[in-house]
Amino acid sequence: MRFAPFIAGAFTAASAVLAKTVQYDWTLSWVNANPDELYDRSVVGVNGAWPLPAIQGKVGDRVIVNITNNLGQPTSIHFHGLYQNGTNEMDGPVMVTQCPVPDGSNFIYNFTLDQVGSYWYHSHWKAQYVNGLRGPLLIYDDDEPFKDEYDEDIYLTMSDWYHDEANWLVKNEFLTLKNPTGAEPIPDAGLLNDTQNLQWVVKPDTTYKIRIINIGGFVSQYIWFEGHDFEIVEVDGIYVENQKASMLYVTVAQRYTILLKTKSSTSENFPFMVSFDLNMLDNLPDTLNYNTTGWITYDTEGDFPDAAIIDEFDFYDDFYLVPVDKEETWEADTTVTATVVMDNLGDGANYAFFNNITYVAPKVPTLLSVLSAPENDSVNAYIYGSNTNAHVFEYGEVVEIVINNGDTGTHPFHLHGHAFQVIERSNASDSDDDFIVYDASNPGIRNEYPMRRDTLYLRPNGYFVIRFKADNPGVWFFHCHIEWHLEQGLAMVLVEAPLQIRERITIPDDHWEACKVGGYSYEGNAAANTQNYFDLTGEKVQPNALPAGFTARGIVALVFSCVSAFLGMGFLTWYGLSELKTTQHEVAQIMGEIPLDDESGESK
Amino acid sequence: MANNVFEVSVFFIVFRETLEASVIISVLLAFLKQGIGRSADDPTIYKRLVKHVWIGSAIGFFFCLVIGGAFIGTWYSLGRDIWGSSEDIYEGVFSLIATIIITIMGLAMLRLNKLKEKWRVKIAEALEERNHYGKGWFARFSRKYAMAILPFITVLREGVEAIVFVGGVALSSPAKAFPLPVICGLVAGSLVGYLMYKGGDFVKIQYFLIGATCFLYLVGAGLFSKAVWYLEFYQWVKVVGEGAAESGNGAGSYDIRKSVWHVNCCDPETSGGWMIFNALFGWQNSATYGSVISYNLYWIAIMVAVVLLLYKEKHGYYPLLKSWTEKHDAKKIAKRRAKMQARQAAETAEGSMEEIKTSV
Repeated sequence: MRFAPFIAGAFTAASAVLAKTVQYDWTLSWVNANPDELYDRSVVGVNGAWPLPAIQGKVGDRVIVNITNNLGQPTSIHFHGLYQNGTNEMDGPVMVTQCPVPDGSNFIYNFTLDQVGSYWYHSHWKAQYVNGLRGPLLIYDDDEPFKDEYDEDIYLTMSDWYHDEANWLVKNEFLTLKNPTGAEPIPDAGLLNDTQNLQWVVKPDTTYKIRIINIGGFVSQYIWFEGHDFEIVEVDGIYVENQKASMLYVTVAQRYTILLKTKSSTSENFPFMVSFDLNMLDNLPDTLNYNTTGWITYDTEGDFPDAAIIDEFDFYDDFYLVPVDKEETWEADTTVTATVVMDNLGDGANYAFFNNITYVAPKVPTLLSVLSAPENDSVNAYIYGSNTNAHVFEYGEVVEIVINNGDTGTHPFHLHGHAFQVIERSNASDSDDDFIVYDASNPGIRNEYPMRRDTLYLRPNGYFVIRFKADNPGVWFFHCHIEWHLEQGLAMVLVEAPLQIRERITIPDDHWEACKVGGYSYEGNAAANTQNYFDLTGEKVQPNALPAGFTARGIVALVFSCVSAFLGMGFLTWYGLSELKTTQHEVAQIMGEIPLDDESGESK
Repeated sequence: MANNVFEVSVFFIVFRETLEASVIISVLLAFLKQGIGRSADDPTIYKRLVKHVWIGSAIGFFFCLVIGGAFIGTWYSLGRDIWGSSEDIYEGVFSLIATIIITIMGLAMLRLNKLKEKWRVKIAEALEERNHYGKGWFARFSRKYAMAILPFITVLREGVEAIVFVGGVALSSPAKAFPLPVICGLVAGSLVGYLMYKGGDFVKIQYFLIGATCFLYLVGAGLFSKAVWYLEFYQWVKVVGEGAAESGNGAGSYDIRKSVWHVNCCDPETSGGWMIFNALFGWQNSATYGSVISYNLYWIAIMVAVVLLLYKEKHGYYPLLKSWTEKHDAKKIAKRRAKMQARQAAETAEGSMEEIKTSV
């Protein structure tokens, strides 16, 4: 049993109106932790501590995160959900907007909080965040539409938890030929606020604003509070009209802010649960406890009953949430259509594709290619690589992205730099062999005012359609937020308004330093070619496809084997025809019909 | 060796053993016809001796069935599922045993035609020997029924050999894969033995035997390749887990690092026609370096063996082993000739052939 402090910092309505600057000086290093009391492991700590602190500020505040990397490996931080308008270089994804921060180096992220709601931050170098480099980012807004409806503002994080080091898992167990089906590593435990058996001590008759954040790396989780319903008031930083619900389905990286009113009586404590979506796991080990329980604690001396088993998950479908600002549906100017495919390449490992391209990081971070290319070249997606799924948009265009799921898995997709309108999302198909493909001439269910958020899940074999306006010049990553799938290459790069990027974005000195110290090219196209941006020779590409059918090697082997067989049979025939004579000779000697040969083998 | 109804290697083993047994019997019968029958000019004795041969054979055959049936019945009732996840290792090892047996046996098949000659000697030797066992009850019995005991022992020996070899070769097959090839082998072997008794065209028979031997060695080469393939597949399953390895023919069902060719069709485990291809030639839709190289090495080894044997036939000794081979063979031949001459001398003295005649 553990109490975990998860009450947000002391920000009240009486705080200063003027925006301020909050600075975080963080040294990243490895520390030990054992949050599930099953296994002590190394995790990424900030200033020697884990779990990591929350970043907090009011709308309009400036945040400076000054990191010193003592991890013995590269790192970077992405502030998930923040638009970084005008500060694309602070977004964080490695080889998209920056080079990795080398071991032993310093790096500063400097941006303003120009939006409202609940967010989080995490490493965006390989699968590092699953090792614990993640935490909440909370923004306070004096003008919340529901500001009078609650008494306390707290956060609740949920995640999956692994005992093994994440990048080790990718290299040795996941992205290898030993795992041809691409089975994702199974988590070892679930956590609530980076701990278990959480006791949330509450006062009766109090409404709590709970910012629920899934900071895990893989599994979506259901969350419900026994005996208590709640109202959804915000998703991914978008205020929505209060929506009553009793259960939520939260994918990794999503946030839901709810208002929950406690009961008047303090006689009982009520369990609240987060439970893995088991459909996402390829197998279910007996040792895995996929339900994590906490308690709404009215009486700290009382009983803490077990959660009741439920038959089905009846969760609220976020598609139907209505944003408070009732933004009208955008009409699309351009459409990007992609099909999610999981398949194996020639090295035997299983990769993830948009159509037939799996994302392979370029030699130069794409943002730096935008800045270094000649102006006319920078608007051409070709220079950003043939293996990066790069698309270029003009400033102000409305971009529509249609994703068709060619896979039977659920994928939570995240777009950096924007919250997008959710135009349509189909159901999952009935069977693994059928696919529901988006047909623009035959649209599905649409809302009058589309829901908006920055992380949306795609159903098995189904599709979704999203739209956003390209009014935030920058290079924005669009990818599945399941870390394993990101490592498999399920990503595309959206180069939004390159001409405006060149006007507005400047790279600070320590960012250039990171490239130089790390030995990365910081100018040129995806192949680091600074002379001819249309020459991609030497760019990094995906492994070759598996050979289909007979290759030259196979034909040679087959022909050679046939030749051997025929030759062998020829020899046998030769032998069969020729050896009778000798035996007759031998037998005749024994029977006395002919004289014995002498010792030298000559007949007498 | 996932053949469900007709196990090819079983057929060949039974065929070969039956052939050898029927050759011996046919020599015996020919011996009777030419030797005893003619000189005695007594049809009754001839007919009785012929009956002895057949009765001896039949009893021997019956014993074989009993032993064989018991052996196989016991094995299958003890249950074949004892190997579970090591099934691939067992398949591999059994294929290897099968191929060794077939390889050794096969060369002997080519010599069956000259077996007639050798058996002329052996039977003569055997008959001479019997005369010197003394006067006891057993000696008298064995002399009286020599013509029955010899085929009985021969059939029994060949039959048990067949059972042991079949056991070594085909224990990984289901029980219902046995009757058909066994029966076919018996029929085919007897038929060919009969043809040889009739003294048919030596050349035609030799061609037939050559053809059969070539076929046998194709099967042997295929089995050797399969043995290596199974052992490699077993290793792959350990790496990737049962589920992925069994998942049809897509990626993951084979080890890309060791693959020489892979086609998603034509899988001997699933398709009947390709299964036969696999049984006869060792065809796999997913070949490895190991399976291809082992196939070729097998044939190379056969060719080398043939060259060595032909060398011996021509020169009387194996290359590099001249003095050892010659001494060895010359000694053997001299010994057997000495024995034969001694017997003949004693026979003339005792009139033993008369003894056989008078004792029936």
